[in-house]
Amino acid sequence: MECGCRSKSDNNFVGVLPCFRKEIFLMTMAEVAEALKAEVLVEGEGYKKDVRHVVASDLMSDVLLLDEEDMLLLTSLAGDQVLRTAQIVGAAGVIVVNGKPLPSSMVYVADTLRMTLATCRLSKYEACIAVNAALHSKK
Amino acid sequence: MSAPAPSSVLLEPKSIAGSGVGNDPLVLLELIQRLKVRDVMTTELATVPRSAPLCDVQELMRRKKISGVPVEEDGRFFGLVSIDDIIRALGGGYINDPCSKHMTTKLVVLEDDMPISFALRYFNRYHYGRFPVLNRDRRLVGIICQRDINRVLLVELSKELNRLEMASGKSLDQDGVSELYLMREFTVCKYDFENAGKAANEIKRLLQDRQLPPKLIRRIAVAAYELEINLCVHSDGGMLSCQIAKGKAEVVARDAGPGIEDVEWACRDGTSTANEWIRSLGFGAGMGLVNVKRVADEFEVKSKKGSGTTVRAAFTVTGAA
Repeated sequence: MECGCRSKSDNNFVGVLPCFRKEIFLMTMAEVAEALKAEVLVEGEGYKKDVRHVVASDLMSDVLLLDEEDMLLLTSLAGDQVLRTAQIVGAAGVIVVNGKPLPSSMVYVADTLRMTLATCRLSKYEACIAVNAALHSKK
Repeated sequence: MSAPAPSSVLLEPKSIAGSGVGNDPLVLLELIQRLKVRDVMTTELATVPRSAPLCDVQELMRRKKISGVPVEEDGRFFGLVSIDDIIRALGGGYINDPCSKHMTTKLVVLEDDMPISFALRYFNRYHYGRFPVLNRDRRLVGIICQRDINRVLLVELSKELNRLEMASGKSLDQDGVSELYLMREFTVCKYDFENAGKAANEIKRLLQDRQLPPKLIRRIAVAAYELEINLCVHSDGGMLSCQIAKGKAEVVARDAGPGIEDVEWACRDGTSTANEWIRSLGFGAGMGLVNVKRVADEFEVKSKKGSGTTVRAAFTVTGAA
């Protein structure tokens, strides 16, 4: 497994777990949420789906540049646009980090878009590490 | 009320006047987003000054057949006398008092440049019969009630229906069976981040319904989303359209201003005029047009400072999945 970092600041940190080879292991959104002790607010269509990439970013412009499929988006941005961006790129789900309170509209939008939405208390960086650790323990 | 603001031509081959438009409230949603409170409100107001006795207000209500009278002087709005205030004055025996003593002053008001979707939301939330309307200078410019909204919506829906009928007739005349497979148009309002992205989400859903190849859908959706955000962030508002015809999908963003001074510069990696607020929302990295160009097979920007911008992204449609 590899991790990429585009910027030194946590704000624009983009960690990517590129395609896990199928014969080795994969994690579902549900398993990732459990590993991060995340509170799942909406179980969308991708909740039981395998996550093939984890992208950590607050810059939606960057997320739109990625071509990866079935990604999980970790972000500290709490707004409807995160979910809309996730729907456009076909993400499996969104986890908002740093325990940020979410605007109530986010749950409604996630529900409408059938997008998995969860929150966790970890920072973006810690969340990436936790996903990595969970993948290794599964292996 | 926070649904997409698409305006709507949905034309299907062989069944142009059929499913889609008739069963879809999208036209209505676009209208309530596009029309402003000022387009709907009553501007011929019967008002009284603060010194007017309540009995005069009662007489004014009877004569004009209205249930609320704003209290204003030289455009400055002080309050509202409602029929409830009059009933209470009659019961309390103070009908000859000046209205300033008993008028309702804790009021919810609307602004004239708000979309009527906002006004409808207020009617649902507060259950008032009417709202005073102020302009940006906080001057009283009108009053709005639900009947005003219904009246204007009926007129606008009738116009829209005529337009759709004409469009369907024209399309059939050209080639017997329409060549147009899908056409959708959406209104995008300046800084309307509550709704920005909904048009692109809707376009993606429509393309999925038509079972186009997933990779193609994603490219078209990304272009539509980037262009929609650009309209919201950089223009004074405009239209986003998606059309699939003759093996080609086209996403076009049109606005009437303010225009791009240097198109070449704007299409360069990382160049942006977005402010901090836009950046705090996760956009404005200067990658929008670059990304549209990256995903599209054809890309074109026409713009002139002061006269608006048209961005066209075209995709070769290789067939259904």
